[in-house]
Amino acid sequence: MNEFFRSLITIVSVVAIPLMFLLFLGWGLIKKVKVYEVFVEGAKDGFTVAIKIIPYLVAMLAAIGIFRASGALDLLITVLAPATALIGMPPETLPMALMRPLSGSGSLGIMTELMKVHGPDSLIGIMASTMYGSSETTFYVLAVYFGAVSIKNTRHAVPTGLIADLAGMLAAVWIVNLLF
Amino acid sequence: MLNYIWIGLILLGLFAAVGNDISDEVRDTYRNGKVLEGTLEIRKSPSAIRGTWEGDLSISRDAFNAFYGAERTDADVRQAVVIATGTDSVQAIHLPITPATPAWWREIVKSAGSKERLTGTVTLLALAEDGSTARIGFTLEPIQFVKLRAVTQAALDYAGIAVNIALGLIGIMALWLGVMKVAEEAGLLLIVTRALTPLTKRLFPDIPSDHPAVGAMIMNIAANMLGLSNAATPMGLKAMEELNKLNPKAGTATNAMITFLAINTGGLILIPATAIAVRAAAGSGNPGIIIGTSIVGAGCATIAGVAASKLLQRLPRYKKAMEVSHE
Repeated sequence: MNEFFRSLITIVSVVAIPLMFLLFLGWGLIKKVKVYEVFVEGAKDGFTVAIKIIPYLVAMLAAIGIFRASGALDLLITVLAPATALIGMPPETLPMALMRPLSGSGSLGIMTELMKVHGPDSLIGIMASTMYGSSETTFYVLAVYFGAVSIKNTRHAVPTGLIADLAGMLAAVWIVNLLF
Repeated sequence: MLNYIWIGLILLGLFAAVGNDISDEVRDTYRNGKVLEGTLEIRKSPSAIRGTWEGDLSISRDAFNAFYGAERTDADVRQAVVIATGTDSVQAIHLPITPATPAWWREIVKSAGSKERLTGTVTLLALAEDGSTARIGFTLEPIQFVKLRAVTQAALDYAGIAVNIALGLIGIMALWLGVMKVAEEAGLLLIVTRALTPLTKRLFPDIPSDHPAVGAMIMNIAANMLGLSNAATPMGLKAMEELNKLNPKAGTATNAMITFLAINTGGLILIPATAIAVRAAAGSGNPGIIIGTSIVGAGCATIAGVAASKLLQRLPRYKKAMEVSHE
């Protein structure tokens, strides 16, 4: 069942993009849209949007870079590690939970390292990979999406994103402890 | 709040860097100025035209770890060295960094003057009787401010990475914005939008249900769930642009934008392909076992995020931020 579902989704994700091209552009052709002209008209915005993101992304990634390079994560882990036992979380997976919202490549590195040390099918390995799949890189998404429309006052976006991340991590700990 | 998180990351980083550097200094982690001894197997001796010794330096694993006072290597050290006999009595030693160099030295060279070699001063050079080996002692250049240097480098590197990411987006942004424009003109987005109106009306009550923003958001969420991140980002940014057209206060995030981002940062994905690939590469017996658990985790994250966005938007301080002043 698991295997079937997996291969189904693999096929879908391979054919999805060609299919979308076919459907969108073909539909345009049927509806007598001047597809080439309209495509170029829309594509024009690609450059400006990407350039607008730069200052937001530089601000965010530079701060995250400083945080990562300083070893501050280890400090946070020392402070927070005693709390992990309360929720049934192996302390080894704490860096994963803290890094996930900050950095995609950083959390990927932590996940790979945990699997190398503890094995991919250990409780720690399964929990780390579930955590990786349970959330997005919140701060990156915030910088890119808000940057594209020059939003500086993010209102409750950060608390919302952090609550989502926390819920994802707690749910990952709970479900993995329940099933494995 | 982003202001505080942002400055918090930077300050925490800077304080941690200073703290770590002081702690390294106090604990003498790098053994600055201390003499390390080893055996040199001489390959080339100085001649009339070349004033250098060349050879391989051997230090036993135990001696290396004892010197640094920690488990720094799990094998005996064998390292190519060049000793230059200077005009005065001081002899300089160079340790070129190669893949065979112990990991600890490869680590500390990042904070050294040159990234290609560690340098030091020879304090002892005693030739064996047959002249093929020598007992040498040397001190390495002092290593200081490792974390502060790393922090500086990271700030510069990541600024560059940010620009590369943004520039890398230009192509796929243009491609997908073009395709989306055709779909919009052909009325296809409207069909998708209408099909999901009952759901989107609840999630985004402020947005007219036929608005192009709704279609772009649906496409973005669908692409994300299929793991097509290359397509999802341009669609998401298109959705943000459309949402911003309805924004009464430029530069401030609207409720709809934040709910949309909550769904996005929840990261609901049907097949977490990256995690599965890493598991498979690490030799897992069942790499796909995390599909179900990830869906539960990301599902909870998404639900909590949407609920949080709906609850927090009622708080007075966030309501006030949205008020348009009429002056």
